[in-house]
Order: sequence, then C-alpha cells, then structure tokens
Amino acid sequence: MDDIQLKISNLNKVYDNGVHALKNVSFNVKKGEFLVVIGLSGSGKSTLLRCINHLHAPTSGQILFENRDITHLSSSEIRGLRKEIGMIFQHFNLIPRHSVLSNVLMGALGRTGTLNSIFKFFSESDRKRALECLNLVGIREKAAIRADQLSGGQQQRVAIARALLQGPKILLADEPVASLDPATCHSVMDYLRKINQELGITIVCNLHFLSLVRQYATRVIALRNGELVFEGSPQNIDESWFRKIYGESAKEVHIN
Amino acid sequence: MIKPSKKLNLRRYLLDASCFGFLILIAVFAIFQPSDEIWRNLSLIFGGLLAALLMGAAGSYLLEKLNVETLGSVIFPDRIQSLSALNKRFPRFWLVQLFLFLIVTFVVGAIKTKASFTELFDEDGFNGAVRLFAGLLSPNMDVLPKALVNIIETVFMAFMATALAIPFAFVLSFLCARNIMKHPAAFAVYMFLRTGLNITRSIEALIWAIIFSVWVGIGPFAGMMALMIHSIASLAKQYSEMVESISEGPIEGIQSTGANVLQTIWFAVVPQVILPYISFTVYRWDINVRMATIIGLVGGGGIGTMLIQYQGQAMWPEVGCIILVIAVVVWMMDQASAYIREALK
Repeated sequence: MDDIQLKISNLNKVYDNGVHALKNVSFNVKKGEFLVVIGLSGSGKSTLLRCINHLHAPTSGQILFENRDITHLSSSEIRGLRKEIGMIFQHFNLIPRHSVLSNVLMGALGRTGTLNSIFKFFSESDRKRALECLNLVGIREKAAIRADQLSGGQQQRVAIARALLQGPKILLADEPVASLDPATCHSVMDYLRKINQELGITIVCNLHFLSLVRQYATRVIALRNGELVFEGSPQNIDESWFRKIYGESAKEVHIN
Repeated sequence: MIKPSKKLNLRRYLLDASCFGFLILIAVFAIFQPSDEIWRNLSLIFGGLLAALLMGAAGSYLLEKLNVETLGSVIFPDRIQSLSALNKRFPRFWLVQLFLFLIVTFVVGAIKTKASFTELFDEDGFNGAVRLFAGLLSPNMDVLPKALVNIIETVFMAFMATALAIPFAFVLSFLCARNIMKHPAAFAVYMFLRTGLNITRSIEALIWAIIFSVWVGIGPFAGMMALMIHSIASLAKQYSEMVESISEGPIEGIQSTGANVLQTIWFAVVPQVILPYISFTVYRWDINVRMATIIGLVGGGGIGTMLIQYQGQAMWPEVGCIILVIAVVVWMMDQASAYIREALK
C-alpha cells in the first residue's frame, strides 16, 4: 500500500449554489504514475483537481495524501499542503506584467516571508533553481522577457517551471493543452511526461482529447456528471466506453 | 390561459405607486391650493405622502387586475407574460402614463424654479450683466501675481489631498472588493466599509469644507482635508470596482503555490490593477484642482477664497483676471491628465 500517494474516498463537492459537482468519487493515485482524468466539460474534472489542493473545499468524503488526512484543513495547513502540490492551468495563470523569471520565482512564495517576497528577496538557491527549472522546460533564454510576450505553449512551460520550483510531490494539470494548437500541445505534453519520468513527479492531468490520453496516460479515470464511470488503462477505452463517457452522439477527434 | 407568475413584482408596484401617488398629490395641490401653513405640520406631510402612495399602489393593483400595460410592467416585466391577455380597451396605457408624468413634472418644475422670461430680459438686470461682462473681459492684470500665488496654493491643496488619499484608498479598495472579501466575517467588514464609504461620498466636498473650516479654521488646510476625505471615498470605490473586475486565473495560480493572502494580493491582484489605479488617481487630481477652487469659496483657501473676496466687492476686472488664471490652469491640468491617462492605456 506504500506506493499509493493519494487516496480519495467517497469525495463529494456541493457548491454554494447547490450544484453537486462530485458524487461519491473514489480512486487511488499511485506514486509516479501519469493519471489522466477525462470527461465532458462540466463533468467535475476541474472541481476534482481543485478539491485536492483546496482551491475548492471538499464537502464530504476523505482525501489521504501520503497517509495524511487532508480533507479538512485550516488555512495555514492548506498553504503547507499547496507547497507540496504543484498546479498548472488551462489559461496558464501567469502574471502577465512580470518577467518569466519572476513568474517562476513565485513557485517559491510558500517558503519565502511576506516582506522578503514583496521586495523580491528570494534566496540565492531559489534563484539558481528557478533558472534550472526554466532550463528543464527549454526556455532558459527567455528568463528576462515579460511573460505576456511569449506564445501560449511557452507560457504553459513557464507555468510548469513555476510549479516545479515548488519541489512538488504531485503535479495537478487542469486542461493544460486545451487552449493550445496541436503542435504546441504535444510539446507541452512531452515536457509533462519528461518531468513525470525523469523527476518521478506524480501527475494528475485533465484532458479532452482521447488520442492524447492513449499517448501519455499510464492510467485513466473518467467522470460523467460528477460520478466516476471508468477506471483502467487507456487501451481499454473502446468504442462502447467512449460513448458511455462522452454520450451517444459523440465522435472521436484525433489530433496528431 | 397562461398563469401569471405568482411572485410579487415589487419593483413594478413601487414604480407605478410612486408615479400615480405623485400625480394624485399634484392634483390635490392644484385643486385645493393649500396655504403654506401645512408645511409646518410634519405628520400631515408624511400622512399625505403615505396616503398618496397607498392610493397609487391600489391604482396599480387595479390596473394589473385589468391586465393594463403600465409603465412599471414595461420597465420591470414579469417573467411569464401573456400578451393575448392584455387589456384591449387601454392599449399603450404606459405611453399615456409616461407623457402625463413628464408633462406634469415639467410644469411643476417650471413653477418651483420660478422660471421667468420677464426677469431674464429686465432692462436693469440686463445692464448689470453687461457691466459685469465688460469688467470680466477687460481683466485687471495687477492682481495676476497674487492670483498666481493663490492658484499654486490651490493646485498643491489638490495634490496633497490626492496624495494623502492614495494609501487609505489603496488599502480600502481590497477591503471593499467582494471577490476578495468572500469569507462571512470578511463580508461583514466589506458591508460595513462599503456603507461607510457610500455615506462619506454622498456628502459633497463642499459640506466637508464647511465642517473642516470650523474644525481646523478657515484656510487651505480645511480645503485639503475636505478634498482628501472625498477623494478617499471616491478613489476607494473606483479602485475596488477595478479589483472586482480582475481575472481570477492569476489568483488561483499564485494561491496554488502556497502563497498567503498578502502575497496573493501583491502578486496576483496588484499587477492587474496598478495602471488603472494610476489613471484614476491622475484624473482625481484633475477633479480636485477644479473642486479646490469651489471649496475656496466656502473658506477652503486658495484661489477660490480670493475670488469670493473680489466678487463680494463687485471688482469685476480683478475677478476677470482670477477667472482667466483658473481657466488656464484647469485647462492645462485637464490636457495633462488626459495625456497621461492615454499614455497608460
């Protein structure tokens, strides 16, 4: 059981407006795996990821992270948890007016004092590490450029570098390639696979395209209307499962 | 037949009731022509108002039962509206209602403001105006140095008021933004501050100047304090609206790194709002220069105080010089602030 990093049991999320976004979702994430979550828009994928790092508070159920119960936490405990969990987003969520390096350094905010961070006194080792992270995603030479001047794919790589600087044990990726063109899409997915395989960081990733899922995922879970409807290897998603997850009229789109 | 929605359309009743009530009151006044005595009787006034409002509400209820399209039902339509059920005998009732309301308001307004063509073209008055304009158009430049010293005082008054308001407004802007103050306890603070600022803002800078001219004495300090209080309230509102309109993405991005609240505000919120903040602030300074002139009239110091002194003695050529100085400086401030705001876009 030691290789189970994240154990989610009977997780429910009900929003203040009454929307029941997750219904009794249970699954495990093993250390070092590349788990992909699929499902239609509104099926609860984003909510699921956000419950793990408490961007949204879970309503009921249990989340165990490395055998620690993290279901209900105080705000300082939440900050502690988030230091160990990196996250990247569909729209990158960088700070547009700041430089690439400064954006990456924000991955160190959790371990830097408030005043020090406001005056940009990040530690020497964090600065060095930030450049290494940029190197890892292949855009070290862009360090001094403003983040909003990069292309979408490059911005997502900056976001990956920011998450890496946290030194996370697990990386949550919420539709990381949904706003990118097919070519850049593969480059970003390749970097995710690289940090998964070379750094051994567990990845939980929401994806739209089944072709990408087959290419990158080591395991897949599927949500439909907030319920877990599939759990298994990407090769097992055949035509009938596909229809079950995406609805009867759905057609698979391939991107290469 | 489609059932009308069960929910009471309160806004509709309120609008119609006030409209009808107003018309009823005016009709009562026009018919009975009561003496000025009744204005001394407070309970009679409120009683009359309430009675008119209730009668208006009754009228609007009756019209709704008859399915007549009133102004209220046009502006605040019910969710479910059955067009076929509309009363055929009074089509476009709401148009009649609107025009009646506008015409009555206009007539009453004309009577109340004592608008009079005879006074506008009265010979004595007209000659006085001609004398005044003649004086204004031949400004006496001897007072120019004094006017310049005073306008500098006014500009600095506006500058200090704006500068001192910035830190207060900056902090308040986050405490008055709904998207920051989500927590229930924080929401209470938000409501309290919002209400306080709304009250502060609804009191004109002119009134603040009167208060402070008693508090700290007549002079530029009173004017500066008045402008500062007003600027804090106005800037905090504009700033907080800016904070409320920012995108949530960067906030999630920064939060997910384990940053605390202050770090999140500093890195995710501030970069998004800083340029609009500067733009609002420059504009506020511009407004304050204009307001500082007016505030001087009630003892706030600066060029306004000088203006009221010469005006009181009917020294129109001197007043002309002062107005010229004000116009030039306000125009320059206006141009400069427009240029800066354009450059920041």
